Amino acid sequence: MAYRRDSYRKDSYTRADSYRDGRIYDDEEYGGYPGHADQVSNNRKYSDFGNKDDFYDPRGTSTQSYSFPDAVAKFIIHLYQSINNRDVSEIENLYEIRFPQLTRDYFKEEKWPQDITHLVDDPLFTTLYRELYFRHIYATMSNSLTFSDRCNSYSNYCELFNMILTSPEPIDLTLTNQWLWEIIDEFVYQFQSFSQFRRSPRLNAEESQYFKEHTYIWSVLSVLNVLYSLIEKSNINQQLRAYFNGENAETVAGDFGKSPLYKMLGYFSLIALLRVHSMLGDYHLAVKVLENIDLHKNTMYCNVPACQITTYYYVGFAYVMMRRYADAIRTYTNALLYIQRMRQMFQAKSYQNDQVNKQTDQMYTMLAICLVLHPQSIDESINSVLQDRKYADKISKMQQGDMKEFENCFTFACPKFLSPVPPAIDASPDPSQEPLQIQKSIFMEEVAQQIYLPTIRSFLKLYTTMPVSKLAAFMELDHNTLMECLLCFKHKMHNIVWSKGVSSLDGDFMAGSEVDFYIDKDMVHIADTKVGRRYGDYFIRHIHLMDELHRALKGLKF
Amino acid sequence: MVGGTRREELEALKLEVNSFLTSVERYNSNNLPKFEKYVQLQVSENMYDLEANLAILKLYQFFPNLYKPEIVCWILLKSLTNLPNTDFVLCRCLLGAGQLDDLNIARIAYLANLLELCQFKRFWQEKAQDANLISQITGFDDAVRKFVCHVVNITYQSMDKTILKELLGGITDADLRSWIAKNGWKEEPNNMIYISNQDEHVKTKNISEKITFETVSVVM
Repeated sequence: MAYRRDSYRKDSYTRADSYRDGRIYDDEEYGGYPGHADQVSNNRKYSDFGNKDDFYDPRGTSTQSYSFPDAVAKFIIHLYQSINNRDVSEIENLYEIRFPQLTRDYFKEEKWPQDITHLVDDPLFTTLYRELYFRHIYATMSNSLTFSDRCNSYSNYCELFNMILTSPEPIDLTLTNQWLWEIIDEFVYQFQSFSQFRRSPRLNAEESQYFKEHTYIWSVLSVLNVLYSLIEKSNINQQLRAYFNGENAETVAGDFGKSPLYKMLGYFSLIALLRVHSMLGDYHLAVKVLENIDLHKNTMYCNVPACQITTYYYVGFAYVMMRRYADAIRTYTNALLYIQRMRQMFQAKSYQNDQVNKQTDQMYTMLAICLVLHPQSIDESINSVLQDRKYADKISKMQQGDMKEFENCFTFACPKFLSPVPPAIDASPDPSQEPLQIQKSIFMEEVAQQIYLPTIRSFLKLYTTMPVSKLAAFMELDHNTLMECLLCFKHKMHNIVWSKGVSSLDGDFMAGSEVDFYIDKDMVHIADTKVGRRYGDYFIRHIHLMDELHRALKGLKF
Repeated sequence: MVGGTRREELEALKLEVNSFLTSVERYNSNNLPKFEKYVQLQVSENMYDLEANLAILKLYQFFPNLYKPEIVCWILLKSLTNLPNTDFVLCRCLLGAGQLDDLNIARIAYLANLLELCQFKRFWQEKAQDANLISQITGFDDAVRKFVCHVVNITYQSMDKTILKELLGGITDADLRSWIAKNGWKEEPNNMIYISNQDEHVKTKNISEKITFETVSVVM
């Protein structure tokens, strides 16, 4: 496995300075700003008068009184100015460090100011700000998330995407890739949240009725429409095809595709589709939409770690449901090695840590399941994590055929499954769990079909040849049943494995078992695979670490 | 003559369906009649298109009021003709809770389970009871036999002729001979059939690490 040094470097701007400065945003550093001194003064508290009767309330009433801390007002104006000046490093600072900082300081249990038109009167900036506003509510104040919030957030996204998609020329907006990814990611997340909410028993009659009259709100078709439009607008598929073929993508990009805004939104929409299709149970289409992305070489194209990790997570899961265990194991180990390498980057951005940690845990769990169903040797650094008690317990239970453990692991590690439609009238008492139950039962059926495999494998490991009758006696099965089990073993261990090509769907049937056998008349002939000790990875990893240390030391100023 | 025009109809419809699949048209419920006609032709003309079939199931997922159980049964049965591919599982993941309770679909799921467990003898016995359901699918039996031969191919070096006959559903000697020929197997004395030289494929392996220049070049 080649370690790519390049993945450490950014292809656009250097961010080293913004971290090293450790800039402190001191409120006193900024003087007053022109034109607004009369409206804002220190230490007034923000209060929100929401209009509770109308769920669909795009602007909020202008008679609201608002007052909020100076630092917040300055931040908003500063952000607006940075976006206008296309100052990418400053935008990054404000978005990734200052915004979470202010949230921690002032808005742990309160909403950010809803209306900022008195500070900045720009429709595009306002929608961007409101996207952050709603994102904060979903993330930090999910208990006080109202139906009206959901509807308003939806209409805000519509406005934002309308501006981007219906403009005759590419709109002049510069945001960081991280921000663009998080807009798309949050869009899909809020769709997921709404789909689950709609099936929740807590939904009251009024909301239910409103929803029936406005079915387009957070409907699956409107979400898919946005994603497909962004993909089409940016010609991202053509660009990717050219890129991985070593050709110049500019020639096929088109006017919109040339703009980094549209290009990256197009790319992130592909990943969003992977996610939406997986949540709806369509694993084939989920992997197919990525057919122009070579997942072994795309870390250069997409330099947003959270996006890369999400991609690996969903592709790995789709492979598991398609019984392509070798491919799933390869994907998960690549993902977990990537995360190990990128760890240092996450320390600075604490707000991303939770999601990455959760996905890491989920991927280790899925990897554990795969290795029980399809034993094979994997990278030592990943394997050592799996030998840690947390996972070792689960693994040994599953190896002994504990179905409950399989279920628990699956439930923990699987994506949030959705149904695109409201529950049927005669649905079960808790219809929100229905999509999960369906996918889980399909997976458990697969596990049940493979229930004899570990036992057969353990007996096979002990011999090089064995009469069928002897094996039948060991397993306490009659001859015919044993023959069926042996056929089943061969069938289940013979799956599609990717070997070349850009599309992750490609592959050929290959025998995957490390313990293999064939039957000649009445004898079973067994072949085992002995894996020699690997040392190359270990040395290369340490060379890299040494290198990093060396560079860090060089960079220190004394 | 009739067969000829149906084949042409199939090819033309295939082009149209493919154009739907590459755009948002795949989510347009107005296209369902064309999709459903395409399934009908797949069934009668012994042809198979996984992507189109998954798209139909997805449309039924989005528009449950347009759901047609016969089409779903056909799609599920066709997916079994593509074993050992896991098409059946992919299709099942798109079905809703209520739909899985349909008796016919539950029956097909049962037969699929038998095939996945390689309980072929039992499969042929059970399948005989579902003649109505399955007989419309042209070439279904032969497709299953192809799957059986695939599993036999990866498992046996040589096996008993009588057993093979049973696994293939109790076919006639003449048919058996043609399957043997199709797979390049050889009839041997003592009622045996020679499948292939498994010794070549299934060998004890010692995997030792190969460090290539590319891996090391990164650090040089």
